Amino acid sequence: MSANLGSGRSNSQDFELNLASIIDCFTVLIAFMLVSASFLSIGILDAGVAASADAAASTTPPPVNLAVELGKGHVLTVKVSGKTNRTTSVAGIRDGWNYTGLTTMDWDFPGLTTQLDAIKKEWPMVSAITLSADNTIEYKDVIKAMDVTRKTIPVVLLGGF
Amino acid sequence: MKKRFSRKRPLQSEDMALQITSMADIFTIILVFLLKSYATGSVNITPVKGMMLPEAQASEASVEALKVEISENAVQIEGQPVATLTAFHFDARDVDSDHSSKALGKALSQHRDRQLLIAKANSDVKVDPKIVVVADQRAPYETIKTVLASAAINGYTDFKLAVVRGN
Repeated sequence: MSANLGSGRSNSQDFELNLASIIDCFTVLIAFMLVSASFLSIGILDAGVAASADAAASTTPPPVNLAVELGKGHVLTVKVSGKTNRTTSVAGIRDGWNYTGLTTMDWDFPGLTTQLDAIKKEWPMVSAITLSADNTIEYKDVIKAMDVTRKTIPVVLLGGF
Repeated sequence: MKKRFSRKRPLQSEDMALQITSMADIFTIILVFLLKSYATGSVNITPVKGMMLPEAQASEASVEALKVEISENAVQIEGQPVATLTAFHFDARDVDSDHSSKALGKALSQHRDRQLLIAKANSDVKVDPKIVVVADQRAPYETIKTVLASAAINGYTDFKLAVVRGN
């Protein structure tokens, strides 16, 4: 702090703060933080038997068991077993064209949500679902399916092994 | 032109005071922003170079558990490579009939034994079934299944899947 406070002759209360050293500190700090900071926000998805305390504490078995399978050709299969047995398939939707002119397909997740909503309406007690996939299906597709399914049925268990 | 150059300019002082107050203000704001974003990462997960995590709408939760990373060439436990992969696939000789990996199972068993030993010695410590899976988004489900099966066999049944938080 360089100020005129020390001079006996001046009674002026105006003084000039020496910001140069503060700027130096800030520059070093900002450079360090920019290098070390990670701007990737990582979250956690629960999967497995202990995903929900409510489900684990419940002793009443669910009326139906639900399973969703991600198959080849972007086909989603919804299986209901227990008091009622039925299997429905949700075919993939056309996504666009690739550079060779062939049609590219994508998962019909809105269709899956519609199916799950209908099942949830019919069986409101159902709170868990088993998600499995074909061996060749990529992990990102499994996570996407899990993300979509969790919105309707909160407990998602990974299966198929 | 000549006239312009010949014109006398007023004398300027060679001492120039740089106005750095506004610069200090800007730096303070940047520093506060960086400090804020630095503190948001509650999960201590740093993916290895080249790894792409899948994106999902996940809650931000702090988890302290054994970390298993699945990259293109290896499976690592707490940063230590325990099994080799070839383009995200386990060696067929390493996979058992129950779809678990021998090498990964052995490493997980060691970690489990250590946990059990600590829990036995200290009643306050409980055996934790949680495991954090940090997997590349390109990994096939077959590999994920092998890792999960190996973990489940060794008592790790509560899977926590690390994802990049989307909108």
